[in-house]
Amino acid sequence: MRAIYRVARATYYEGWRRRFLNGILVFAILIIGSSWVFTYLQPGAELKMLIDVGLGSIRFFGMLIAVFLGTRLIPDEIEKRTIYTLLSKPVTRMQFLLGKYFGGLATVISNVALMGATFYVVFLVKAPQFAQPTEEGSPVYSMEFMYENIAKAIVLNFVELAVVMAIAVVASVVFSWILAAIVSFFVYFVGQMSEFFGHLADPETTANPVARMILLTIYRVLPHFENFDVRESILTDIPVIWPYMGKVAAMGALYVAVVLALGYLFFNQREV
Amino acid sequence: MAHIALAIRTDNLTKIYYMGWGRYQVGVRDLSLEVEEGQIFGLVGPNGSGKTTTLKLLLGLIFATSGDAEVLGEPMGSPRAKQRVGYLPEGPYFYEHLTAPELLRMYASLFGLGGRQFESRIQELLELVDMWDHREQRVANYSRGMRQRVGVAQTLINEPDLLFFDEPTAGLDPIGARDIREVILRLRGEGKTIFLCSHLLKEMEPICDNIAILDRGELVGQGGVEELLAGEEQRYRVELRSPSEEMLAGLEQVADEVVWLDDTCRALFADRQAAFEAAARADDEGGHLLAVGPDRRTLEEVFIDAVGEVAPDASDL
Repeated sequence: MRAIYRVARATYYEGWRRRFLNGILVFAILIIGSSWVFTYLQPGAELKMLIDVGLGSIRFFGMLIAVFLGTRLIPDEIEKRTIYTLLSKPVTRMQFLLGKYFGGLATVISNVALMGATFYVVFLVKAPQFAQPTEEGSPVYSMEFMYENIAKAIVLNFVELAVVMAIAVVASVVFSWILAAIVSFFVYFVGQMSEFFGHLADPETTANPVARMILLTIYRVLPHFENFDVRESILTDIPVIWPYMGKVAAMGALYVAVVLALGYLFFNQREV
Repeated sequence: MAHIALAIRTDNLTKIYYMGWGRYQVGVRDLSLEVEEGQIFGLVGPNGSGKTTTLKLLLGLIFATSGDAEVLGEPMGSPRAKQRVGYLPEGPYFYEHLTAPELLRMYASLFGLGGRQFESRIQELLELVDMWDHREQRVANYSRGMRQRVGVAQTLINEPDLLFFDEPTAGLDPIGARDIREVILRLRGEGKTIFLCSHLLKEMEPICDNIAILDRGELVGQGGVEELLAGEEQRYRVELRSPSEEMLAGLEQVADEVVWLDDTCRALFADRQAAFEAAARADDEGGHLLAVGPDRRTLEEVFIDAVGEVAPDASDL
């Protein structure tokens, strides 16, 4: 544990020194901080716009940071040769891999927490203005669960990024970092549509057994990233219940564990 | 026969790199070495001869294609061996946001070391490499020489029994290089074993006890430094600066060979007695006697004999 913590700690602070990622963070905070400006584009649906732009930006920029950071963590250690002084000490490759993963994840979560806090402030200030009662007296939007749901959405985003980060780190162990980034983006975007692949794999939709098998494999292997997106529940003010949160978090943790275990099998054979 | 403790033993160690598209490259081939405890062992060879490959194999950073090795009696790369080993890679890089004490604390913690008492050890190590005064600076602001010095300090953090140094003085100014050599000699004095890789032969010659010469992944020479420099045929030499014509003619009559190095005349003798008599005669005749004694080759000459051609980095020799 000590070795994992030490590697993770160094990775966390190194993560904050990456100017490219700092640039993404600053840009994301600017977009999120000015998300209320976009509400003018859709009169009558301002709150929907605010939530879409704000939470959508957090998910998108969080994913960008997770992929670009995750795919660089281990290749940078090898290129800069800092890995030599670490692996020549009593640090196993599993400890090193986990240290890099958790350190990188801590950086990503810190970044997303900053974005989330920015959005929360914007939401607290602007949302009540957009949810004024109509002339008939009924509110345009119910906001009974909205504040809590937004916090839960950000927490689910953390779990989603933990999965993205694991895929990115492991892909970088197997492929060159550019290919690893492409693979990570591909998995993320296809994973957003996993339910669609599940639907296509239905015998009533696809008759060809080979195509069905491929679609079913994609459906089962890829993470179901749409489960982490609860914007619909926020807009309709349906509470995001804790059992759902727990189930999605458990699935995410299981996915991370399997991906990292596979990554270890590759990394243990990798020469540095 | 007295039992000699070995710090390193390699047995036909071979590493073949797959370069893609059906191409292979030899890293090292059938390397069998024995490094005794408490000595400075130099592994020399031109760039690309397999020195760093050998180090990486012994540390478990890469994996052998065939063959075997033991480090301090443990399988190479095993965690138990790593507990007792220190490693300075060539041109070491460290996390740039850390200061030297933070870096040493981080490495110490990987060995389970640390705490308030350990701070004095960190100070001691940084003083040893003359970096204590720079303890507030971050690694990002260090010169190459400063990184090298901190690199040496981190190898000593666990008080290792065996140290691997890869080109420890490369890129350092003469004072920096001398300081590192002094540290290495001091470590040997403390009974530690040092495995030194370098192509800077002039620096290796005065400090190594034993040397192995690698060329294109294969061992082409090995032995004690004294034994290698003396050569198979022991000869003696007399060196005079600008001898007179009569003196030179006298030397040519009794010497086996006379060679000129700038204004220095070197006469070589198979017989020790003849060499000392010629030297005494030259001295009596008022010649400027520079040296008399066994004719030792330089490590550079040994190296070129073994490798068969001037090394690619002859300018560094």
